[in-house]
Amino acid sequence: MFSLIKAEFIKIIKKKSFLIVTLIFILYCLLTNVIYQNSDILNEYEEDITYLEDENKSLDLSLKKDLETYVANLEKIEVEKYKDEYDSNVQKYLIERYLAPKISLYLNYKYISLEDAKLEKIDEEIKDIEEKIRKENWEYFTKLNIANYKEALKDDLDTSTKERYNTLLKMEEYRLNEGIAYDKDNYLHNALNEIAIDIAEYYNLKYASSLTKEEKTRFDYITKEMQINKYIIEHKVDINNDQSLRAVLKNFSQEFDLFILIYIIMISGSIVSEEFNKGTIKSLLTRPYKRSTILTSKLITVLLFIPIVMVMMCSIEIIMGGMIFGFSSLNVPVVLYSHGIIKTWNIFRYLVLTLLCNIPLYLILGVIAFMISTIMASTSAAITIAFLIYLIGNVIANLALVYKFKIFNYLVFLHWDFNYLVNLEANPYNFSATTSLIVVGVYLIVMLCITYIYFDKKDVKNI
Amino acid sequence: MAILKVANLNKRFGKKEVLKAVSFEVNEGEILAFIGPNGAGKTTTIKCILGLQKINGGEITINGFDIKKDFVRAITRVGAIVEAPDVYMYLSGMDNLRLQASLYKNITDEEIYRVIKLVGLENRINDKVSKYSLGMRQRLGIAIALINNPNLLILDEPTNGLDPEGIKDLRELLINLAKQRVGILISSHNLSELESFCNKVCIISNGSIIKESSIDTLKNLSEVKYRIKIDDTKKLTKLKLEGIKVIDNNYFEVYKDEDCISEFIRVLVNNKIDIYEVIKESLTLEEAFINIAGGKNV
Repeated sequence: MFSLIKAEFIKIIKKKSFLIVTLIFILYCLLTNVIYQNSDILNEYEEDITYLEDENKSLDLSLKKDLETYVANLEKIEVEKYKDEYDSNVQKYLIERYLAPKISLYLNYKYISLEDAKLEKIDEEIKDIEEKIRKENWEYFTKLNIANYKEALKDDLDTSTKERYNTLLKMEEYRLNEGIAYDKDNYLHNALNEIAIDIAEYYNLKYASSLTKEEKTRFDYITKEMQINKYIIEHKVDINNDQSLRAVLKNFSQEFDLFILIYIIMISGSIVSEEFNKGTIKSLLTRPYKRSTILTSKLITVLLFIPIVMVMMCSIEIIMGGMIFGFSSLNVPVVLYSHGIIKTWNIFRYLVLTLLCNIPLYLILGVIAFMISTIMASTSAAITIAFLIYLIGNVIANLALVYKFKIFNYLVFLHWDFNYLVNLEANPYNFSATTSLIVVGVYLIVMLCITYIYFDKKDVKNI
Repeated sequence: MAILKVANLNKRFGKKEVLKAVSFEVNEGEILAFIGPNGAGKTTTIKCILGLQKINGGEITINGFDIKKDFVRAITRVGAIVEAPDVYMYLSGMDNLRLQASLYKNITDEEIYRVIKLVGLENRINDKVSKYSLGMRQRLGIAIALINNPNLLILDEPTNGLDPEGIKDLRELLINLAKQRVGILISSHNLSELESFCNKVCIISNGSIIKESSIDTLKNLSEVKYRIKIDDTKKLTKLKLEGIKVIDNNYFEVYKDEDCISEFIRVLVNNKIDIYEVIKESLTLEEAFINIAGGKNV
């Protein structure tokens, strides 16, 4: 048995198709890492001001609606012009946050309310702010905020507003003490900023007397975001950085899911049929082994290949990602949130768990390919049908979220994905993990029984 | 001692009966030529013996083990080539041999080199099989069939693709193996190739064994052929003799049993035909086969 399995491995590894897929994987892996490395450029968004300028030319300023659009466009154009003048992220942020409202006010006085008297004063304010921005004096704005919040807190406020100001005040003080500039490349700033954006909605929903179902979902989502950002700030962990080996590993099972599937289906779909097609099955079946032993050795080979392919792919990624990004990001944990509790996992533990969660899916599709490969003795049929079942399975799994037909509950497609467990989410169909495992197990046993019975009875046809 | 025993073998494909009560034996040191026209059931019989196709009736035993009940022990000392040689094209010849050798217990490297030498592949053994010619693949197939030191060798059309040199080597190899008490079952279209070294013939047609006998009996079974030289063959036409075949002005052939030939010659003499030569010729295996199979061409 052991020598049979060893022989199967030799046959697979020496095959050209295996080498080709591995080479393509290495290339794909390299490209994925390059994409992650450039993710900041890819995500950058620039306002197209020429379009706004063109639109302004076509507007009829005597109409009130058009005039408002004109002013709004003008404001955007002005802000973009300022942003072009300054290079640093801090300056750009300050322009958007502190200069833009003043510009908006200025333009409003000038074009809509026509209060020329106020123009001069506001122009001065703008110049003043611009001066601070030129010197990149962000602390000035932070101190200003602190003073404002303190001032506001003196008034008699309702709990929601009071808590909000208190939190904001704490955050600004923290920012000042830690010297966290308004730099979008600084993850602590991003976390603070995200909290500041969500905070009003959070406290409103928190102290609302009753919540609709949608509001409840929204509140849960915001709470999760807030908690995670809070964790980032408290523990100073850069978990949202996409330009790291850790980010690629965290998304490993999504990014390389298809490749693992290709490997597994390619191997399990050809391991029996190839021997029939090439006639080598005759020499294999005339060795001193029972047919069931021969099939078992092939099955074990396929099963062993799943973890081997995974380990191989992870190793390639770790080596390649490590060369591109370095390994320092590996001690940053994965932060998960579930029902008010933050959980942190080591990146390798998370990686292993996400891969383990996909194993039922790989097993089902691998055994489908294996079964068809044995019954039809056709590699192309086995590979094609296995992939079609994967696609159809995904469609049905999505369909089952909407249509609750009872028959769907018996389909393996609703049971083969265990990723919700790792991400500490609830099963989308309300199945328990045990139920899902039983369904997957029954499917596997039935398919393997068919395969074994068929293989034992099969005649090797004359060519 | 019989190494391979096939008794009353029946095989159906659907409703069609492709093998009907096929029985024969291969003994130690025997080379059995398994002969029949295309579609007669040669390859099917061989596949049934090797367990590649399930049998519908009858019994096959190899070295005393029934292949239905004790396949593993029955097949352990069998080497075979069925149809084309079964080799992995993307591996080298050596890798193929190593791979197959690893499926048996205790086959040493010396053993592998020995069979490589036997089939004469020493120079090309490390090349990929995809670069081999058909004849070289056939040699490799024979090497694989010999790797487990079999005492029953089953070769289906082994001369396919071999050059005359290769056929000569194979013949010597098989004669040598037979001397070491290996039983050999060999099927081929090329009857004259087998004739010179096989010692038993089994003729199959339409799924039934027509004849199983030693090669000498087979040759003697049919009427003996005489080649006779006379002064002028035109004289024969007047005599209205049966079973004669005129070759040219002087020579003709006649199929007669030994006890009838003297009577035949006396008739010639009485008719004043001058006889210069009378030569007894035994039939080639091919001719004997055609006689038995009812004149069908092979």
